[in-house]
Order: sequence, then C-alpha cells, then structure tokens
Amino acid sequence: MDRSRLTRIASLAVVAALALTGCSSGDSGDESGPVTLTVGGWSLATTPEFELLAEGFQKSHPDVKVEVKEYDAANYDTQMTADLSAGSAPDVYPIKCLCTFATYQGGGQLLDVSDVTGGLDETVKSAAAPYTVDGATYAVPYREDGWFLYYDRDMFEAAKVDEPDGSWTWDDYAAAAGELAKAPGADAGTYTHTWASAVQGFANAQTADGQADFLAGDFAYLQPYYERALELQKSKAAVDYGTATTNTLTYQGEFGTQKVPMMLMGSWYIATLLAQQESGDAETFDWGFAPAPQIDASTLSSPVTFGGPTGMGINAGISDRKVDAAKEFLAYISGDEGSTALAEIGITPANTSDAVAEAFFAVEGMPDDELAKSTFSTRVIRPEVPVSANTPTITTLLNDAHTAIMSGSSDVPAALEAAKQEYANQIGG
Amino acid sequence: MAASLRRRNALIGLSFVLPNFLGFALLTLVPVLALFYLSFTNWNVFGQADWTGLANLRRLAGDRSFWTALRNTLYFTGVHVPVTLVLSLALALLLNTRLRGVRFFRTAAFFPYITSIVAIAAVWNMMFSPETGPVNQLLGAVGVAGPPGWTNSRDWSMPSVIIVGVWRDLGFYMLLFLAGLQTIPRDLYEAATIDGAGAWQRFRHVTLPGLRPTTFFVTVVLTIGSLKVFDLILVLTNGGPGQSTLVLSQYIYQKGFVQNQFGYASAVSVVLFGICIAVTLVQFLVNRRRSA
Repeated sequence: MDRSRLTRIASLAVVAALALTGCSSGDSGDESGPVTLTVGGWSLATTPEFELLAEGFQKSHPDVKVEVKEYDAANYDTQMTADLSAGSAPDVYPIKCLCTFATYQGGGQLLDVSDVTGGLDETVKSAAAPYTVDGATYAVPYREDGWFLYYDRDMFEAAKVDEPDGSWTWDDYAAAAGELAKAPGADAGTYTHTWASAVQGFANAQTADGQADFLAGDFAYLQPYYERALELQKSKAAVDYGTATTNTLTYQGEFGTQKVPMMLMGSWYIATLLAQQESGDAETFDWGFAPAPQIDASTLSSPVTFGGPTGMGINAGISDRKVDAAKEFLAYISGDEGSTALAEIGITPANTSDAVAEAFFAVEGMPDDELAKSTFSTRVIRPEVPVSANTPTITTLLNDAHTAIMSGSSDVPAALEAAKQEYANQIGG
Repeated sequence: MAASLRRRNALIGLSFVLPNFLGFALLTLVPVLALFYLSFTNWNVFGQADWTGLANLRRLAGDRSFWTALRNTLYFTGVHVPVTLVLSLALALLLNTRLRGVRFFRTAAFFPYITSIVAIAAVWNMMFSPETGPVNQLLGAVGVAGPPGWTNSRDWSMPSVIIVGVWRDLGFYMLLFLAGLQTIPRDLYEAATIDGAGAWQRFRHVTLPGLRPTTFFVTVVLTIGSLKVFDLILVLTNGGPGQSTLVLSQYIYQKGFVQNQFGYASAVSVVLFGICIAVTLVQFLVNRRRSA
C-alpha cells in the first residue's frame, strides 16, 4: 500500500469521525451552569400555548432556557414514539391524547412526578387522576377540556326557542333540536361531528358502568346514545353523517358560519371561535355555552361530561442535572401563574381556581353570563376513554362500529355485537 | 498485470455503485431484513423485542380482521386489475388513431394520475355524497329509484373505491399501452389486411400478440400496486363504513402505528410480501409458457 493511498484512507476516516460526532448532540459539560430544557409541542403557529408557557417560565427562571420542539399535530404520537425510541425526544413532552398515555407509561418512557402534583391546586390533582398508576403520577395536566353545548343566541331567538338553562336532559336537547331545524337559514337543529367520541364519549362518561364495560368489551351501554343520534339525523334535526363525511364538513364551519344553532364540542373550540370571529373566518353573532345534556335530573347540579386533561410528562431518558428544572417547569404550567396565562388566551386550564376563572371570563368576546360561569366551574369531566394498554385496540374496533352505525350500514345491536366479537378476537375473553 | 487491471476495474466499478448501494442498504435493505426478524417477535417500539417464534402467525390464522382485510384486498385487486387493464387498452387504441385533438385527449386522460390523491378523494367524496352529490342527483334525474349510498354504504364503498382507483390509474397505463402500440410494425397490419383480415382479426392476431410484453409489464405492476393499495382508501373511506374497505396495508398501519404492535404488524407485512411474490411468480410462469 503506497503512502498516498494511506493518506486518503486516513483522511476519509477523519471525515467520517467528524460527521459522526456532528450527529450526536450530548450535553456540554458544565454541571452548575444554565440549563436548556427542550419541550415538545405541535402546530406552534395556531397553538400558542407552548411558546406562551415557555416564555412565561423563562421570565421567572432566568437560569433556564426553554426550547420548544415542534411536531406535526396529526402525526404527533407516531413522531414522538419514534423520537423516544431513538433517544432524541425532548426533555418534557405533552401527552396529546389520554388514549396513548398507557403506551408511554407502560413503555417506561415517563418519569414519576408525584412530588410535583402534591403541591398543586386541588383541581389539578383531580384532573391528574387518569395519569396515576399504582399511586404514582406520571404527567401533570396543564389544560383540561370537557365537551360543552355551544348555542347561537341569535338563531335561538329567530326560531323562538328557549335557550338552554342548565337543566337540559338528552330528551330536552332532542326536542329543541327538532324545533330549531325550522330556524331560518339552518341546515339542521344541531350538529354532531363525525368523530366516534362525539357519541361514545358521552356514553363512556355518563353511563354508570361505562368505563368498566368499555374495558370489558361489553358495548351494549352505547345503544341508547346511538339510537338517539340516529333518530336526530333521521328526523333531520341533526346534520346527516353521510353528508358530513362525504362533504368533509368542519365543525368550525357549521357553527361558526351559523349553519346550525347548536353543537356539542370540546372546550378548545372557545379559543378557536373567539379567534375566528376576530379574523372574520367565523361570523359575528351572540353565542354562549352550557353544560352537556344529562341522562336525567340527578346530575344537573354537577353536570357530567367527557373530555380529558392534556398534560406534560418528563422523558425518562432526561439527563439528571435537568430533572429539577423540568419539575419546576411542570409546577409552573399547572400553577396559578401558568394557568392564568393560558386562561387569558381562552384555553380552559386544568387549574380552575377562582383567580384563573376570573382571568378566563375577562377575555374579550367571552360569554360571561351566569350559565357560562357555572358551566366552567361546576363541570365534572370523566375521561373520554379509560386508560389501559388495550385502549388503542378497543378504540379502533369501536371506530369501525361507529362508521357502520352512523352510515346506516348496520343496525345498532348488530354493530355493537360485532364489536364485542371483535374484542374477543383481538384481546380475548 | 492482467489480474491487477481486472481488480482495479472491479474496484472502479464498485466505487460507482457504492453510493447508491449504501443508500439502498441503509434505507431499504436493512429495514426489510429487520422486518423479517421483527415478525417473529412481540416488539412494541420501546425496549426489547422478545422472540415469540410462530406466535404471530398462529394469531394471524385466527384473526378475523386480518381475514376481512385479506378478502377486501383480493376483492379490490380482482376487480381493479382487469377493469383498468381493459379500459386503459381501449383508451390507448382510441387515442392511437389520427383523431382531431388527440394530443389534448391524451393529456386529459393522464391528468388524474398526476393530481394529488387528497384532492381526488375530497372531490370524489363530494360527488358520491348520498343526498346532495351530483352522481345520485343524476341517477335520480334519469329515474333510478333508491340510488346507492356509495362511500357511505357498506355494500357500495368498495365499488366506489375501485371506480376512483380505475379513474386515477387509467391514464398512466394508457400511456404504457400507447408506447407498446408504436412498436408494432405497420406492415404487419397491411399484410393482414391484404390477407383479408377484418378489424377484430387484426386486433386479435396482430395487436394483442405485439402488445404481449407491455401487457405483461402492466399486469405485474398493476397487480402489485393493487395488492398494496393504501393512500386511496385511507383518504377516501379510511377503511369504513365498518370494515368494508379495510385492506391489508391499512391493517398493517393500524396494528403498527396506531396500536404499537410492531411485531404483529411485521408479520402481516411478511404475509402481504409473500402474496405479492407468489402472484408475480405465477404471472412470470404463465407469461413464459405463452411466449414459448
């Protein structure tokens, strides 16, 4: 081997080594110096909460720098799973959906943060319940969204129908939807979005054994909720499912452009509607929100709805010297300061202490009548789906049942029976 | 001297191939080999992949959703392949004539193939809308009572997907057939005409045999493409209503990326791979016997 070839090989090796070291990030030495914390988030342009919390935290913690790493909202869990598996995930990451919490926790990807929740407001502690496994808490909720009934005051008045007063059962809701269908300019009396959760979430939360039956694969409890949904669309009181799916209707368009006078939707829509009325994407009209309809009068004083917390957890692979800063960050986002900042942009924080509620209803354009206020403060939010390792599988098979029923391809008992058999097939039992 | 020259030539050759091969090995070969290994494990992305032997295959045998997905995949392929083949050939023959504006029609026929699948799905879904869509309004206008629910009906969702699939693929395969038609010598047609062959006989005895290499290529590519159909169904029906359009690729996606059962999803992928290989082998054998 001559010298020139040796030199060439050696220089190649150096280039390769440089390239490889360039790929690995590694912490830069200093034990006591400033800490840089990376936090996951999605769609930063339309979801301001991540940068808001990062900036707020930095103000009170000048020795910590918070960098938000952006993910794609639609593929958040896939991308986060890949990053965690590759060891390149951020130090703190949000649990976007309760439905995948068990995957992260069961996979050993979350640090125990029970000591953080211990010092927080009671409302945060109760919102953190779904993140608690065997007495240890693995994520801290910073927002908690529940489903409310949105109503268009102008359209109610035009149709001469009484507005919701906080005492509505599902029968009252159905009757009102029937009358409202005749409102001038209305496509229908109400809009049920095409998601399976828009029907199943209420059944899971409001039926006495809903959560247990869900996990046991006994889906008969969904039947009354589906029969009501079908009846509403059959009588044209609700927008037809086939029309909604084939025309890709959006809930923002249906309620925001006054095509329907009522809609059940999650509380994240409050901030969206305020922003869209401001930008002109939604029309300007007088609206309000009320508790979701109940099965009967027994739960009217503390109306039960479904939803769930959005929390942040700490990556189990975080370097030791960052753990304290990460825990302080979690305490900040659910504490009074962080929660007030969230409330000021129309987000419903998990912390609903009086100070936070005051900030929430001071937002411009926010309905601030007594019904809206009591809806915000007396809500009882049960998880959309119970947390279990089997949840993703059950959600998939119930989604099949949902599309079969709502499209009219299958009658309700047959579709639920098929789902039960599919449960036995996939999970056993 | 000769040996060292040969070695040098080989090295130069390899150095040309190397960059591409490295990319292929890193991005395709290694993942594919890993897939075969993973299909015998219970890997869930995090942590270790435990070897479970044939457990995944045994589970597959009793998995009704898998069989539904397989049946739907074969339904789609069984209809989509022949219909696309016949229609694209017919279109190629039509546009191979000296028609006025033939270039325009060729371009128009190719258009769907280069249109975004998401846009295609959105527009077709609107056209298929059971109550307000133009398709059913047209059917109503010509007196069809109780028109189908198309993508919103369990019985009609698969035909709907096939219609859109054929419409999208038609132009591409037409182009391949057009290229094949150009290779058939004109004098063969003249000789056949002099021998008294009619249009149908010319088609059957000159065009079809002349197109055999093209037909074979189109059939193989079309079949493999149909067996692994994914994007079209994902955006058009998402497998629904119920499981009426759930296909194997989508089932793999569901098991892997939604339910994190990557070991099991790999096993389904291996089965789909096996089916593709088997079907292609049969096509090669049939083609060889025909050309012999």
